[in-house]
Amino acid sequence: MSVRVKLPPILQEPSGGVEAPEVNGRTVGECLESLEERFPGIKDYLFDRQGKLLRIFGIYLDADGIYPVELDTPIKDNDEIVILNFLMGG
Amino acid sequence: MRSYTGKLIRINLSNRQSQIEDIPEPLMKNYLGGRGLGVRYLYDELKPGVEPLGADNKLILMMGPLGATTAMSVSRIALVTRSPLTGTIAKSVMGGNFGAYLKFAGFDGIIVEGEADKPTYIHIDKDGIHLLDADELWGLDTQETHAKLRESHGKSTQVACIGPAGEKLVRYAVVISDRRCGGRTGVGTVMGAKKLKAIAVNSSGPLKVYDPEQFKKIAQGLIAELRTSPRRIKMSDFGTSYLTLGFEKMGIFPVKNFQEGQLEGVENIGDAELAKIKTKNDGCYGCMTKCGQVREVTEGTYAGAVSEGPDYETIWSLGGNLANTDRGSLIAADSLCDKLGLDTVSAGNSIGFAYELFQRGIITKKDTDGLELNWGNHANMMKLLAKIASREGFGELLGEGTRRAAEQIGKGAEDYAMQVKGLELPAYEPRAVKGYGLILATSNIGANHMYGRPREDLAGTTDRFADEGKGKAISRAQIGQAVEDSVIQCSFGPVTGLNPESRSQLLVAATGFNEFGDPAYLTQIGERVLCLERSFNVREGFNRKDDTLPKRMLTEPLQNAGPATGQVFRKLDTLLDEYYDALGYTREGIPSTEKLNQLGLEGVAKDIKKLGK
Repeated sequence: MSVRVKLPPILQEPSGGVEAPEVNGRTVGECLESLEERFPGIKDYLFDRQGKLLRIFGIYLDADGIYPVELDTPIKDNDEIVILNFLMGG
Repeated sequence: MRSYTGKLIRINLSNRQSQIEDIPEPLMKNYLGGRGLGVRYLYDELKPGVEPLGADNKLILMMGPLGATTAMSVSRIALVTRSPLTGTIAKSVMGGNFGAYLKFAGFDGIIVEGEADKPTYIHIDKDGIHLLDADELWGLDTQETHAKLRESHGKSTQVACIGPAGEKLVRYAVVISDRRCGGRTGVGTVMGAKKLKAIAVNSSGPLKVYDPEQFKKIAQGLIAELRTSPRRIKMSDFGTSYLTLGFEKMGIFPVKNFQEGQLEGVENIGDAELAKIKTKNDGCYGCMTKCGQVREVTEGTYAGAVSEGPDYETIWSLGGNLANTDRGSLIAADSLCDKLGLDTVSAGNSIGFAYELFQRGIITKKDTDGLELNWGNHANMMKLLAKIASREGFGELLGEGTRRAAEQIGKGAEDYAMQVKGLELPAYEPRAVKGYGLILATSNIGANHMYGRPREDLAGTTDRFADEGKGKAISRAQIGQAVEDSVIQCSFGPVTGLNPESRSQLLVAATGFNEFGDPAYLTQIGERVLCLERSFNVREGFNRKDDTLPKRMLTEPLQNAGPATGQVFRKLDTLLDEYYDALGYTREGIPSTEKLNQLGLEGVAKDIKKLGK
């Protein structure tokens, strides 16, 4: 499946400014692997040292939040993945 | 019927008199409530030069216009005074239930004046306002104090109290209501100096609003949207602990007293590990998120320790800042600070300062009551917390805060005191997010993380490492925080669901003041509050020289901080100029006459002019 991933500004640094690259995969997790193949090093921004998705990122599929399933969520043709970063706290 | 009660309690502890006063309507319209109203009253009523721990200082507790209504997460309470830690104006905003019940009792706020000659507490109920003997409460920790007051006045009694740290005048003591804190700038110390152990309230709702149908429609619409919001659910699942690993990756999480920006083993104190020992959620009045994470240590040295927390700030201050990745010790230390009534940020930062002095040989075991202060040593961290709260031995010095402690130690110790205007830095490395650095440098209460957030820098829409071009955005962020603190709403957007438009609509429906329907009107209130706080400080002798950062930020490139490695603050002066220009201040950091007049602060303009500024 080929889908578009809209990246938050903070992930456009490793993507070299590409805002919404096309990637392939059957699940959100596979799409993020595909993202890494295209932009080596981007996973360092997305995952912790143990390979878990950092919770400062939220993933939306066609505008619907998919937390907490996220990486295992299956993808359909023409879906759009949107990644947002949540960086406020106290 | 407006959602303001329009009344406040004024209590003088010296002559043990209390009275009820009306709050003039123009004050509500020009300052909203909470921090805004508190700052206005303090500016008007405090003579310049008042000793923060003397009888002439005042402690103001003030609710907002939405407090105690059915809207989500808007029932916090602001505490305003002159800080014994910084000498500046102080504000701290406390969550929990206390504020809502004060309003149910019929009051928007309390102004505490004078100084009691013996330990005292205030009890407010349907029969009136009572000043009562607190001899039996003095010396108790905050949980014991809550229990004792509920034993005396009933289980539903709401309490705001201090712990032993406030009684002993540790300069960063907090006010606690259940497990929520008025946490920074020493508001609890002022209570301690007044020998005021607690304020207890018995009351019941509901509170009426101006347009109940419209209010209900807006509030319920927001709640319906929030119910399924992934961001809100994530806050409920993890609280702010979810920030730790992300910020650490970005080099924002300070390590070893800001010497570094990344920490080996940080996963041990990350969200997933903390969630493993979570037992339930807790939180504030009128909030479905309940972001407080109650956790219990089940094994090891600290087995049995229970705390609602730690939140991100405390994960840092008692964890990463000390290179401490022991999860159990974090829970135990957080719980201990709450019981003793210590600000976890200033306490952890002060201990980090001591650890670095020990690392550099500036202090030795001779100075620390025989304690080895090595990075990661959580056993001695626990001992130091107890010493600070009781002001015993080396704790006497650390209880003064890093600025005063450094002055007493000498030998160059001031270079390692991570503070601004005397308030210890929070959990954000200024060199890794320059916008945050500018917020901390210019904050009128010292280095506080709740004085605006550099949203653009954190989101990546602006370059967080850039040394220029941040003044306007940071002034907007500080104004936005002043509005939030005056409404008063929770500062976690995902929790309230409010945006400027929906907030204005709610305020009009609650108060009937149509002016609040214009978000730009509220922004101007925020600017007025910010400007008045600065004017208070100017009156106390503060100016541009005080808007700075620790020397380390300006001279030492950040080490071991991932993408932020090598960053340093190169152009603070440029950023300050931009910031002052954006707010209409002079290049000395003083509000201009034109700006003060524009904001309706003509009297303040005259005060500033008299000072020759």
